[in-house]
Amino acid sequence: MKPWRQLVLLVCIALAAAGATWWHKGPPNRLFHCDPAALKPDEVCLESIPADAAVVWIDARPRAAWQKSGVPGSLLWNLDPAEDMQAFEAAAAVRIAVTPRVIVYCSDENCGVSRQVAARIRSLDLGAQVAVLRGGWRALSEAGRVKK
Amino acid sequence: MQIAGIIWLAMLGWLQAAALDFPVVFKEVHAPADAKTVTVDFEFANHTDKPVNVTKYDAACSCISVQIKEGKLRYAPGEAGLIRTEFDMGNFSGAVDKMVAVWLDDDAPDKPSLALTVRVHIPVLVALEPKTLKWDLNGTPEAKTIHIQMNYQKPIRVISVNSSSEAFKYELKTLEDGRSYDLVVTPTDMRTPGLGIFRIETDCLIPKHRIQQAFATVRKPSPAPAAVKP
Repeated sequence: MKPWRQLVLLVCIALAAAGATWWHKGPPNRLFHCDPAALKPDEVCLESIPADAAVVWIDARPRAAWQKSGVPGSLLWNLDPAEDMQAFEAAAAVRIAVTPRVIVYCSDENCGVSRQVAARIRSLDLGAQVAVLRGGWRALSEAGRVKK
Repeated sequence: MQIAGIIWLAMLGWLQAAALDFPVVFKEVHAPADAKTVTVDFEFANHTDKPVNVTKYDAACSCISVQIKEGKLRYAPGEAGLIRTEFDMGNFSGAVDKMVAVWLDDDAPDKPSLALTVRVHIPVLVALEPKTLKWDLNGTPEAKTIHIQMNYQKPIRVISVNSSSEAFKYELKTLEDGRSYDLVVTPTDMRTPGLGIFRIETDCLIPKHRIQQAFATVRKPSPAPAAVKP
């Protein structure tokens, strides 16, 4: 068999296998999946946080994104230099005094801002348990736990 | 069959090859206290044998402006380029990491090929230690101290201290004028959880360092950490 025919045959077999998999199992699941075994020490999976849990949610995204689609009741704390960091600190301190558990999220798992904000909250030493949400806003959105 | 296999492997290589080579993807900068912006350049080159397109570059913060040299987005084999990041210092102090994501060719929207990081160290001119004073609920209302240390060549004086709560008494003591102070805080009610926010205003010439904030809290004792299983 000529090489190009072999190549066409290989492509056809691959496409047939892919099509059969799609037909049998459905389209690929692109939803964010949090693997507890892959968590870093300061991270949590959304699945472990019930919707009614006593948590101070901190949104580390830009203000406009927080206003549009933040978790209801969340606080804003990002690293935008136009923002007032001391106002962020004060607002968080007031809430932490009542609810000493904080979870910080930013846009998705590639965003590093939430970890920096979490470090800043820990540095206040207010006695809060501070974690970063694996998957960030994307995980919250897919779970229907943000403003529509 | 061998030839078809080689063609197949070559196609896989073509799919994987698009990449730019950044010698350094993490840079650390020590900025002066009064700097308003910091500029950091990241050089790169296309060391592959295929053209590479930069499809998008973005910083997840309005505090960084990102530019690519001459707006050039397509890099032929052997070509080099430069990404310039300008960090607006705003009111930051301490160490801040800023990231710039770079998408190449067919990168998925949530999977950029590269993450460039700038770590900027901004001097802390007015240092508070500790930032928060804590008392256990129903404990002893003993006085505790926040030490205020000025770290600047010119003197910085504390002008005023204001508290958000009457549940804490406070007294400012000057240890060395323009250099070091103690803020002594005493809770007045140990039976009720409370939070005091202290705003410490100084005459620092650099506005972003002028006002500092400290906290005092009376709260339930923290539970002992859970024993770690062997």
